[in-house]
Amino acid sequence: MTQEQELRVGIVGCGKIADGHAEVLNFLPGAKLVAVCDREILLAEQLAVRFGVTRWYDDLAAMLAAENLDVVHITTPPAVHLALTRQCVEAGAHVFLEKPLTLTAPESAELIATVEEHGRKMSINYWPNFDPPAMHFKQLLAEGTIGDVVHVEAFIGYDLSGAYGQALMGDPSHWVNRLPGKLFQNMMDHIFNRIVPLFPAGDPEVHAYAYKRRPAMMGNATDELLDELRVVMKSGTVSAYGTLCSHARPVANTMKVYGTKNTVEVDFNLRTVIVAKSQSYPSAIGRLVPPFQMASQFLAAGRRNLVAFRRNEFQFFAGMSTLLELFYAAIRTGGPLPIPYEEILSVARVMDDVIGQVYPNKGGAA
Amino acid sequence: MKILITGAGGFLGKVIVERLLQHGETDLRAMVRDTSKAEGLRDIASRYPGANIEIVAVNLRHPAEILPVVQGCDVVIHAAAALKGSAAEMFMDSVVASRNLLDAIVQVSGIRVVLVSSFGVFGVAVLDRFALVDERTPLEDRPQNRDIYSYSKLRQEQLFWEYRAKHPFELVVLRPGVIYGPGGGHFSTRVGLNLFGVFVHLGGSNALPLTYVDNCAEAIVVAALNPATDGQVYNVIDDELLTASQYLRQYKKQVKPMRSIPVPFVVMMQLSRLVERYSTRSKGQLPAIFTPYKTRVMWGGNRFSNAKLKSIGWQPIISTKDALAATFAAFRAEPPKLK
Repeated sequence: MTQEQELRVGIVGCGKIADGHAEVLNFLPGAKLVAVCDREILLAEQLAVRFGVTRWYDDLAAMLAAENLDVVHITTPPAVHLALTRQCVEAGAHVFLEKPLTLTAPESAELIATVEEHGRKMSINYWPNFDPPAMHFKQLLAEGTIGDVVHVEAFIGYDLSGAYGQALMGDPSHWVNRLPGKLFQNMMDHIFNRIVPLFPAGDPEVHAYAYKRRPAMMGNATDELLDELRVVMKSGTVSAYGTLCSHARPVANTMKVYGTKNTVEVDFNLRTVIVAKSQSYPSAIGRLVPPFQMASQFLAAGRRNLVAFRRNEFQFFAGMSTLLELFYAAIRTGGPLPIPYEEILSVARVMDDVIGQVYPNKGGAA
Repeated sequence: MKILITGAGGFLGKVIVERLLQHGETDLRAMVRDTSKAEGLRDIASRYPGANIEIVAVNLRHPAEILPVVQGCDVVIHAAAALKGSAAEMFMDSVVASRNLLDAIVQVSGIRVVLVSSFGVFGVAVLDRFALVDERTPLEDRPQNRDIYSYSKLRQEQLFWEYRAKHPFELVVLRPGVIYGPGGGHFSTRVGLNLFGVFVHLGGSNALPLTYVDNCAEAIVVAALNPATDGQVYNVIDDELLTASQYLRQYKKQVKPMRSIPVPFVVMMQLSRLVERYSTRSKGQLPAIFTPYKTRVMWGGNRFSNAKLKSIGWQPIISTKDALAATFAAFRAEPPKLK
């Protein structure tokens, strides 16, 4: 496959998140969304019509047979990810999957093994880790600004009354309510995929605690859904806190990394990266100057964002564009994948551990 | 005669139930998605002790729940539709839901179907400004250029005609304009938009295709009960239509004073071109919320006719003057929004 060859992309699963994939693909050079598929043909039709895709299917096998796809984006609920992945790789397509990868870590391992057996590649939509602030953080880490990582805090806010929250709170049979780990399982990839890359190899110690803060009882299956999650972790000499919080406002999305040299705070919503440094000024000066230093860092972050905006690189899903560019490049050149498989599997194992602790009676299957 | 009303707990659905009762129909099955939304229906039922009003909870996304509810009915009035949500959700609750309902309807013989469609289905962007929109106006052929509500209503109506072409059932379609009344929205987008706390008045002196919720429900019931309407489409708008600026003026006087900035159509068209061009150039950095196509549809201005609806005996049961007075009084009494 040459560098110039345009990849033929298909989407299977035409729900809400498929819109995000189609929007990104709309502007991504070197790839074209050529067909979409959903077992509900009317959903496939609406996605196709709105994004100018001329062919839509209600059967993945039919789409794979007719379209000669290079990549399939699997944007269905996770319970069918393994089966659909198998179909795609057997037909010669690479796969890009929505999180969570599957329902359990062993199933995720089987999925990746299936992809490798067929000589194909896969990646998962950990898009916030490829947003501009995350890329900036990776650069600081590589440059040694942080030093050795001592402790990590990853915080994800969630709005139960937001567009996604309402969809699952209003429908007891929504697929998220049927996941063993419910809401947490659909969201906590984004907590652990930030922490795990900063841990040394090997599985971390995980202590999870969860509860339900909202008082409202709906008298249906949604009542079982816990909405506040706290996780304490340790691997080697690095520790971490992970938080999923449905009630604090604003609905935040942050990571703070405490290093032996400096501490860095990444705000994924505001797209700022701020480095807190040790003070060298004496006495009262050392307390007067730092706020101005922080202010100048925020100003610099604002300027960086403005420049990105002027360059048309400030889309909501900018991270997904970057991730896909890297994944597609790996497909074309056989180069390294944007997210190592071991990292994906390690996240899956941590999630299993957390679910086992906070929903102890749910077992491993939906 | 047993009549099933879907979306019966909604803004329009409740009034359809009331109008059916007023027309002497006493055997009704009111379908709601969630019985917690059925309070208004129970109030209505308490006022008609002689009628049999059965309230049933059905999620139209679940086909298995539908057939038992359709069985035994002579007429189905389909008023359920999604008004908000993501594109996929709106399609699920308007189009997929309709397909599921139709699949049940065609299994039961002799059902007469009444669809509450929308003015949104018309392809008005290609018409001259101020052209007459009536039942012969062509349907939208570029739904991808429109908002998702219009697209979902268009696809929904097409589905009903597709099924009718293949199955023997009677079908009458009503296309209401802007339905208003107590409990409804304060402003149709046709009047303007609230942008960052300022009301941008975009409708100018365009006629508003208003229909008061009771008049609209009356039209649906008149068409439903008239056997001669099979295969027909009726636009639903009231008499004595106001212009967008008249509506805004009266609103300010009778509901609350507010600041508004008038933006003429030609300026809005120019602005829409810029927004569309920028959205494409910036790879969707800002969404194309305004495009020349959408602007022509929403603020280009049309003339409307209700002559066909009147030909089957419909008359507004409340004059526009009284309907507006009742609506504005209800708006005034609404508690201030928390957000």
